[in-house]
Amino acid sequence: MASWLTPDMITLLTRGIVLTLIVSGVTTVGALVLGITAGAGRMLGNPLIQRLSTLYIEIHRNIPALVLVIFWAFAVPNIFPQHLRQAIFFNNAFWDGVSNVIGIPLPYYLFAGTLGLTLNTSGYLAEQFRAGVSAIQTEQFESARTLGATRRIVFWQMMLPEGLIVAFPAIATRLIHNFKNTALLSLVAVPIFFHGIQTAISKTFRATEFLLLAAVVYLVLTAVFAQVLRILEGRFAFRQAHG
Amino acid sequence: MANQLEFILNNLLPLLIGFPGQRPGGLLMSIILAVVGISIGFGLAIPLALGQRSRFAPLRWACSLLVDVFRGLPLILLLVIVFQVIGSGRFGFRLEPRGAALISLALYSAAYQAEIVRAGLAAIPAHFDEIGRMFGCTPRQRFAHIQFPMMVRTMFPAFTSQAISLFKDTSVVIVVGMSELMMSARILLGNDINNAPYWVSVYLTVGLLYFVAAFALSKWAGRFEEKQNLNNTVNYAGQ
Repeated sequence: MASWLTPDMITLLTRGIVLTLIVSGVTTVGALVLGITAGAGRMLGNPLIQRLSTLYIEIHRNIPALVLVIFWAFAVPNIFPQHLRQAIFFNNAFWDGVSNVIGIPLPYYLFAGTLGLTLNTSGYLAEQFRAGVSAIQTEQFESARTLGATRRIVFWQMMLPEGLIVAFPAIATRLIHNFKNTALLSLVAVPIFFHGIQTAISKTFRATEFLLLAAVVYLVLTAVFAQVLRILEGRFAFRQAHG
Repeated sequence: MANQLEFILNNLLPLLIGFPGQRPGGLLMSIILAVVGISIGFGLAIPLALGQRSRFAPLRWACSLLVDVFRGLPLILLLVIVFQVIGSGRFGFRLEPRGAALISLALYSAAYQAEIVRAGLAAIPAHFDEIGRMFGCTPRQRFAHIQFPMMVRTMFPAFTSQAISLFKDTSVVIVVGMSELMMSARILLGNDINNAPYWVSVYLTVGLLYFVAAFALSKWAGRFEEKQNLNNTVNYAGQ
């Protein structure tokens, strides 16, 4: 075992990797839900909902993820005066209770950072979902409506699954990007893997070793993630072809 | 509300072009970083993409490996590696934050652009190349006069969206202490507790500046593309 990779450091970095995977998973699910909702709103809503969805999508797509993360983590608590800020964001009795029960610290920055990333990715996914649906021939939807399918059925059973399959490659690329973006949370003091690497460097001054380790870990994780998405894509395409 | 507006207006200049008497910063520096990063990246992307199509297998593997590595790493990690490992003086030179930021952005965008160029080259119908060969063009002539111009047309949409993406990614260079829009906002607010009420409005302004620049660029690109398509149609119809 290399002298710089002490058991302490291994624990720190393993926790960081686990947190990276959790944040990445939560943002993926959240962004898919928000993105599909916003994309559907932009396609199918009444004019007001269409405008609001468009605004939501364009704002979150055109502002860098880091700005959103810092806005929610550092700027928003500053709206409130000092004593309220402490009570709401940093010494919140409810979240302290929850984190005692599950044994994982839940700092406000973790929520804020996750929210920022989710919003950013959802803006992209909304557009990709919309592009996926508009690539399908609209006759399909029209004939389903003629045959008596409700708008709800057309959305849930046709637009949603088929749009997602068509958009899958683009969505997969964005999700990998989202996975890499979780490293940004290190800038708001969330003990994510990259933050663990920086902590390790400041303790041991072994920048080269830890940074190369981080590079290898990220390359392996992105490769695995990409492979998983590719397998999923194959499955979806198969189901599509064989009913 | 009035103080908020006053604070922003008084400090708009640092957010736009940096603090007076210092090196340029603010939005101006973000744009410069993006433009230079994309340009150098494009210069690197073409050999990388051509290398990936080479008949010489080791060259092909080396180019693919480079593209995969720079695409697989988070930009923030790449920046820190370039700044702290490559530019640490260990290899006989030290990199300033500016240099490290530019090199990282160039390598990162080169990898993404190489994929775009590769797709652009693959999308050129083979007979165009064959016609060039029939006329006895050398590989270099075929690339310069046939493949390159056609590729630029087909890859324009992907290229602009990559450029916009890189512009937004320049916000990350704050990690090496490079002065641009994010850093200007950070310096402006400082550690002064009296500035706490201004955090939201400053970051809203920062968001707005990024938004305006990125949104305007994507709208312009969309319009340019439409015009280009129209031209193509006219040209093909005329022939």
